[in-house]
Amino acid sequence: MKRLIARKTGLTALLAGLVMVLLAGDVMAHGERAQLASMRMRTVHWFDTKVEPLNVKVGDIVTVTGKLVTSEWWPKHMPSIEETVYLNIGVPGPTFLRLHSEVNGVPMMRSTAFPLGKVYEYKTVLRARIAGRYHVHPILNVKDAGSLVDKGTWLEVAEADDGAPFVNEITTLTGETINLETYGLDGVFTWHLIWIAMGVAYLLYWLIRKELFIPRFIRIRHLGSDRANELMTKKDFVVSSLFFTVSLALILGGYLWAEHKYPITIPLQTGLVEVEPIDIPTGGLEVEVDHATYDLAGRSLSMQLQLTNNSAGPLRIGEFLTANIRFLNPDVNEGEIYEGEEMVSKDGLTVSVDTIQPGQTVDVELVASDALWEQYRMTGLIHDPDSRFAGMIFYYDENGERFFQEVGGAVLPNFF
Amino acid sequence: MSEAQSTGLSDVEVKARQLDLKSLDNPRAMKLYRRFDGIIILVLFTFLVLGVQIQFTLTAGDWDYWIDWRDRRWWPLVAPFSLLLFIAPFTYGIWERVRLPIMATAVTTLLCLVSWLSRYLNFYEFTHFPLSFTFPSTYIGLGILLDCALAISRSLIVSTLIGGGLFGALVYPINWSFMAPYKVPVEFNGMLMSVADMMGYQYIRTTTPEYLRIIEESTLRTFGGSVTPLTAVFSALCGMVVYAAFLWVGYKINGLDKFTKRIV
Repeated sequence: MKRLIARKTGLTALLAGLVMVLLAGDVMAHGERAQLASMRMRTVHWFDTKVEPLNVKVGDIVTVTGKLVTSEWWPKHMPSIEETVYLNIGVPGPTFLRLHSEVNGVPMMRSTAFPLGKVYEYKTVLRARIAGRYHVHPILNVKDAGSLVDKGTWLEVAEADDGAPFVNEITTLTGETINLETYGLDGVFTWHLIWIAMGVAYLLYWLIRKELFIPRFIRIRHLGSDRANELMTKKDFVVSSLFFTVSLALILGGYLWAEHKYPITIPLQTGLVEVEPIDIPTGGLEVEVDHATYDLAGRSLSMQLQLTNNSAGPLRIGEFLTANIRFLNPDVNEGEIYEGEEMVSKDGLTVSVDTIQPGQTVDVELVASDALWEQYRMTGLIHDPDSRFAGMIFYYDENGERFFQEVGGAVLPNFF
Repeated sequence: MSEAQSTGLSDVEVKARQLDLKSLDNPRAMKLYRRFDGIIILVLFTFLVLGVQIQFTLTAGDWDYWIDWRDRRWWPLVAPFSLLLFIAPFTYGIWERVRLPIMATAVTTLLCLVSWLSRYLNFYEFTHFPLSFTFPSTYIGLGILLDCALAISRSLIVSTLIGGGLFGALVYPINWSFMAPYKVPVEFNGMLMSVADMMGYQYIRTTTPEYLRIIEESTLRTFGGSVTPLTAVFSALCGMVVYAAFLWVGYKINGLDKFTKRIV
């Protein structure tokens, strides 16, 4: 009876596992919701991210552009972006080739460092390599901290019209044009086959013999450790010497042959590159955060600010951005929404004062409210070891010119 | 003095050993032994292939996965260190018990075969990396040299000095025969890069940023910057030390058989 129950349980578990495997869907994200809420709010503010075009064929070019501001509220318990950072792109492996990347006009083949509180404009040029539907994210890999991911944009890559194998050609400084997809593989295969053949031949010599493990063990036990070497024959000595000589000759011969065939080689290159940061453009709005509360039930962040307009014209707050989520003020309606852009709350921002006149100092309440707080797991804010928030306020002058400024401070939860 | 008294074994044990020896002249017993030998090979090689794959992946994984990781300073140190610490204890056990100098060749050959299988299925078919960027290194020739040094000298000490030394010293030369093309220079955006660097840049690895590579990180350079030969000398020394240290580990593990006897 027990055996029958065990069998049934095992069969059920097997079927359940099979069903789970068969019903499993595609992975649709890259962990952008998984990171700690404060990490997303207080590290890097990505904006103006644009991926274009969104429908391409294998071999076509895709350009990813955007801007980012490094937060002055960077968590002190996390290694800083001021040390080492690398501009990367979040795609499923090499489904794209990276042809070019730059920050503030400086090519980004290597890592760099970003001081806090500055603006960086980035651009990455990709070439579609494998057909499919991909969620493309700009990423910053921060040394010892991890990856900071911008929001993703879906991109369709269709097969190329000719269906020919993908070719990735470059020209070396020695004047040779090579296809990196297959470059050097003839030599790799040849030498590996030679060595595998040598290894297998050596093992076969020792393993195909009349007396192997058990007989040899019995004989050594009988002979004792002092006389155990009597099991090694003269033939063993000769064959081993032969393998030793041939192996050494192949290693040295191969080395000299490669030196002759490729006389000009260089070591792997490394080092940091320097990027000149851009200052945040001053639009004349002075911002002081009085306090902020996060309403758990209402899924909204409420900020009490004191704003002073030091500019010559009226200013209006149009957008609040935090953790890649854009909360737009529908009354201002200036913020552009790009094709395929996600994480935008079109009417998520309420501002208690519509226009701030020149020279005026006003107390303003900003409420960023949307189900996106929940959807993107921002409610975890209250579980952070350092309960503070940060984000970007975007405001406009009377000509529609955009300015931005980072705000941040302590945040208290409202549980009821 | 009887044999039992001279060896410290019981009479029953001495008799059993004599019967074992006689069994080598018995065709039926030999047939049985050959079957057991086949099982031993199967079990041992399966364990070796799984063990070395996990061990090498954990200790030297990225150095072997990507061509743009194999620098002149760290890869020739890390790879033999990682392999010799796995090979040495097995070599001691197999040499002491059956006098077969095969473990280094077996481990390196099995590692090569399983690495190719992994690169083809995981890297090429599943994640679309070109094989030209992810092919494994080879250490088979070094394994043969190490085993042959033992077979020729019949001494673990001599094989440590010669075989262990060669194993460490020749990592770069044995792979240079097919790795040299990837160190040809390229100009890109006004900067000098090798073909390997270029591949590392173009073939995107989302969670393996450029700064993770450990490229020639060390102290100030002397001897005119002769990195490769200096690393080879240091690696040879490390090879000897690591091999000797882990032969001792093998010796200690081998000594645990007395507990097995007690259990039996």
